[in-house]
Amino acid sequence: MTQDAAQQLRRLLQLIPLLADGEAHSLHEVADLTGADAGDVLKDMQSLSMRFGDPGGFVPGLEIYLEATQVSMRTSHFTRPMRLTAPELCALQLGLAMLRREQVPAEQETADSARRRLSAALTKLPADTPPDRVRHVDSGASGDRVQLATLRRGVRDRRKVRLTYRRADAVVSAVRVICPYGLVASRGAWYVVAHCDDRDAIRIFRLDRIEQSELLDTHFEVPASFSLDDVVHDGKVIDAEEPQTLRVRYSPRVARWIAEREHVAVDADGSLTLEHPLADAAWAVRHVLQYGADAEVLEPASTRREIERRLRDIVAS
Amino acid sequence: MAQPGNKMTIRTAGAPGPSKLQRWLDVLAALLSHRYPITLEQLRREVPAYQRTENEATLNRMFERDKDEMRTFGIPIETVQTGDPPESAYQLRAADFYLPFIELAATGGSPRRPTTRRAPFTSLQTLTFAPDELSLVAQAAARVRALGDPLLAADADSALRKLACDQPVDALARDAERDERVVADQSPASRATFALLGQALLARKRVSFTYHAMGTDTMREREAEPYGLVFLGSHWYLAAAERGDELVRNFRLNRMSKVTINHARMRTPDFSVPDDFRLEEHARSRQAWELGDQEVEEILVEVRVPTGAATAAAQLGEPVAGRPDRRRFRVRRADTFARWLLGFAGDLAPVEPPEMVRKYRELARETLRLYEEGA
Repeated sequence: MTQDAAQQLRRLLQLIPLLADGEAHSLHEVADLTGADAGDVLKDMQSLSMRFGDPGGFVPGLEIYLEATQVSMRTSHFTRPMRLTAPELCALQLGLAMLRREQVPAEQETADSARRRLSAALTKLPADTPPDRVRHVDSGASGDRVQLATLRRGVRDRRKVRLTYRRADAVVSAVRVICPYGLVASRGAWYVVAHCDDRDAIRIFRLDRIEQSELLDTHFEVPASFSLDDVVHDGKVIDAEEPQTLRVRYSPRVARWIAEREHVAVDADGSLTLEHPLADAAWAVRHVLQYGADAEVLEPASTRREIERRLRDIVAS
Repeated sequence: MAQPGNKMTIRTAGAPGPSKLQRWLDVLAALLSHRYPITLEQLRREVPAYQRTENEATLNRMFERDKDEMRTFGIPIETVQTGDPPESAYQLRAADFYLPFIELAATGGSPRRPTTRRAPFTSLQTLTFAPDELSLVAQAAARVRALGDPLLAADADSALRKLACDQPVDALARDAERDERVVADQSPASRATFALLGQALLARKRVSFTYHAMGTDTMREREAEPYGLVFLGSHWYLAAAERGDELVRNFRLNRMSKVTINHARMRTPDFSVPDDFRLEEHARSRQAWELGDQEVEEILVEVRVPTGAATAAAQLGEPVAGRPDRRRFRVRRADTFARWLLGFAGDLAPVEPPEMVRKYRELARETLRLYEEGA
């Protein structure tokens, strides 16, 4: 079967249970239901609605009536979806496996039982179907799974959480009460995006700097205007409303990796000068020093001075 | 109800003609309307396209192809022998074709709202999910959709739509997407690359591609045996052994171009994956200094200033008995490790072996010169 045909059959077998109620449905509504292009849906419908040369008295298993902008159907056979296909089951199981790796042992039983139940919904496969053990997914994000479980419950149940948190540049931990709005895994770390009651503002907490977390009984509402998109910019998690700018020159030795990550081109000499949003001075020092002599802060001067001071201390130690 | 519209025909290259899709649905409807196996001759009476095919050999070929294609898609049409003398007959059991009923258990495990059943669905089993399980399935679908593989996302979407016939998993998935996000590659590989590699993996066929090696900044043709696709952190990688090389390497998908699959003898695998290869183990998340095939060196690191960043980073090392301020790291790339340590600006520092201490200080001196000269 060609991929086109498989996709067409899949779309149809999904659409029919949703539409076969004898009522007319607009083609745009139909396209939205399957996430397909309206043109593709129209082609699917046309390919079914036009029947030629059927013998007298023949009643098709699916009756379809197509107008310029709407369609209706009747059937007694396709009003339930078919079982899960192997690729569909594998997709869900991959996601479950990814979540399972982030769970504490007590939660993992839920993932295991969900996997077992889904497997019972799998269609019977031909004997020669190879097992799909060819994909593996892992967010790779670090952080304590116990804290992650607490924060997930806080997000899900809209309950406040008391954190013991040590900021990147602080040597003493502080206790904060937060309303966890959401979680983001980005570039090897989990972040909690929350309203911080102490600061009365949105703040981002990195999971691996949370020392303790406690779920509180107090509930909260997430503002309708809030979206995680507000804090994820080009794959980075940033909470400053008007961040300063950090200007860095990367040497030709490392510039191409940075250019690839930031989706920009290197300069003619192979180096790269880039501006980053600067919400956290301590982050700037860490970011630049990890490249050693292959990255140099050009601005702001305060960050240059801080890096120079820290390097002198290391050399003198 | 809408009435039959105009008869305009749209055909696109490569798409099945209207009669083929109708034929498949007619075959499915015919098989599903019988509780017993039916012969091709019986099927012919109920499928107009088969009636119109007068040549027996052509009909047989057409039906065999239809049956095989539908089986490949996941529709389990059974072939059985019936009658005397025996002849082939075909069956599609309702319980094998239709999705079982999905119910939600109330606290205590019994179904919250028993499903009303009617023909032809009376023989279907019921799968009862606990609310947490169903919620996790929705989260799993949301997670997979975010990974940047359009085919995987389409499969997850399709599965959700099926389950959503009985339970609101699609709404749960939307909630999961609202509350949790994994940031994937901002410039993912193309749909065609995912499709070709997926096909090659399942058929065990070699692939050829042009690869941009970042270390040398060069493009080179590669031919490799694909073992698996791995999403790690934010990126998709192909785990593959280049021809003549036992080492399994990771090739980042968005650094690959001109991907082709060996189409010769597609039903015959080109290679077998070694029995001891475990994709999950191969894909285990590693720090940059753990990669490569150099000798492992033990390095002792001291937490000099216990900032949040230094304390969290120190957790990547192993504890040292009697010294809570120290951690032991096993390192293959000493230069990479020295740079990583320098990123903590002195809050973490190596204390053993002396060679690493010297390397770290030299790196700091070299970096300091940039700021002294540029001042």
